[in-house]
Amino acid sequence: MHLGFLVDLHLCMGCKGCEIACKVENEVPLSTWRLRVKYVDVGVFPETKRTFTPLRCNHCANAPCERICPVSALHYIENGIVNIDKERCIGCAGCVMACPYGAIYIDPETQTADKCTYCAHRIASSLMPACVVACPVEANIFGDLDDPASNISRYIMENQGDVQVRKPEKGTDPHHYYVGGGNIQLNPLASVRTEGHNLFGKLTSKMPVGGHH
Amino acid sequence: MVHESLAATQAVVTLDVGLPGIVWGWIITMNMWAKSIGTGVIFMLFYLLKKYPNEAGYLRFPLTVISIVAIHVFLFFTVIDLHQMFRFWHIFVYGHFTSAIAVGSFLATGFVGLIFLLAYASYIKKDNALFDKVLTWTVLLGIPVTLYTAALMAQSTARELWQMPTEAVQMILAATLSGSATVLLVGAKLPYEAKRDMAVVLGFSAFMAFLIYMSEYVFGPMKAEEVAATLEFIKGHGEYTTMFWIGQVFAFIIPMVLVTLSVQNKSTGLLTLASVSALAGLWVTKHVWLVIPQLLSMS
Ligand code: SF4
Ligand code: SF4
Repeated sequence: MHLGFLVDLHLCMGCKGCEIACKVENEVPLSTWRLRVKYVDVGVFPETKRTFTPLRCNHCANAPCERICPVSALHYIENGIVNIDKERCIGCAGCVMACPYGAIYIDPETQTADKCTYCAHRIASSLMPACVVACPVEANIFGDLDDPASNISRYIMENQGDVQVRKPEKGTDPHHYYVGGGNIQLNPLASVRTEGHNLFGKLTSKMPVGGHH
Repeated sequence: MVHESLAATQAVVTLDVGLPGIVWGWIITMNMWAKSIGTGVIFMLFYLLKKYPNEAGYLRFPLTVISIVAIHVFLFFTVIDLHQMFRFWHIFVYGHFTSAIAVGSFLATGFVGLIFLLAYASYIKKDNALFDKVLTWTVLLGIPVTLYTAALMAQSTARELWQMPTEAVQMILAATLSGSATVLLVGAKLPYEAKRDMAVVLGFSAFMAFLIYMSEYVFGPMKAEEVAATLEFIKGHGEYTTMFWIGQVFAFIIPMVLVTLSVQNKSTGLLTLASVSALAGLWVTKHVWLVIPQLLSMS
């Protein structure tokens, strides 16, 4: 079994339901995120459109974070999820340097690394990840990539030619796919980032390690 | 290229989380800098004892002490950078050997054992033959100890700027640069020829390191979009442009010039200045190179 995610960006409307569901389910501390939805505006008025891209850990099959972790706090579980053992983590931040997707943060409360686990604890109880349940338009499709009859496998087959992963050139083999995405959504270097458009940008306490740049 | 896609798409992030700040900062710079000195002086001592066994013999104990101090500074900063520093022992119990951090921890531990053995041989046993035998093993182990940080940077898949084998060469050059500079500062009683040799090592290390940094500066952006975006921080009005050039000038350009003048004039007066400049500049250079890839948004 290899669990994977697919987000249909045609469907996503940027409501941030998944983001909030994740925060609540996993008690993600203030100023840190396991999953967030990035808004990128494209074009010049009046020819503009807004894109929404949910971003989370890709559970790479060749995960640099797992490779660099000196104590195997980041490890694979048999369903393909890259999980984290926060009791074992020494907080070296090697994984933060290694993940090409910025998916890992140092939890300001536990001072250990943390990230999306595809809600491994819920899956162990045969529940769907919290973000999948919360999505009102079913843009998040989750399932077993090894099973050709699963929703996600069928979705990938039906949308061949329009299925992408983030930064394929990194050779990480992400198990997280996007349909309807493009350079703007998936390549962080393809858009300008100015300060002042941050969620809760004015937070001054319980900052993640490194603060905000 | 970044600018082309921006011009073509007019794409602007309008709502997202803040960019993460610098996670590996000056503490890791201290770590790399001190380690270069700790292994570099051992490499230089090995060379001097082979070439000038009588004249350089008196440096056995002092350089061993410098190595011990530098390596402990390195270890201290390594440990305090951990967000859970009291779990450091996890590496020795749950060691995961695909990680350069785990491998490096074991190597560094072995190196510490050997330099203490050197101290024992030179200070307590006063046995030069034993010292020289242990020194050979210390040098051999010192090479991977110097290199493992480069392996760690290479494993940092997110940071395109840090490439192997470039970082490996830069780590060795940092060790020879800082090792020779330190010997020149403490080896006042060395004969002229030995000082000249150290000066040549210093000048050559500075030249090679400068050449590699400049090659990356000019040609790196031609290969990868992320490298181009990273190097923008040290070009033009970039946030780290001034600091980058201060590092290059102090670490490499000033030592190269002063070493050339010294060797030409057969005088050693300028070498102290060259050494201090190299050691200070190396810190700044390493720091800039460490920090700039962390300023990029990964997502
Ligand atoms: S996306 Fe990042 S954190 Fe997730 S598995 Fe891949 S490298 Fe690790
Ligand atoms: S911060 Fe924790 S999870 Fe990340 S590499 Fe270090 S020990 Fe592993």
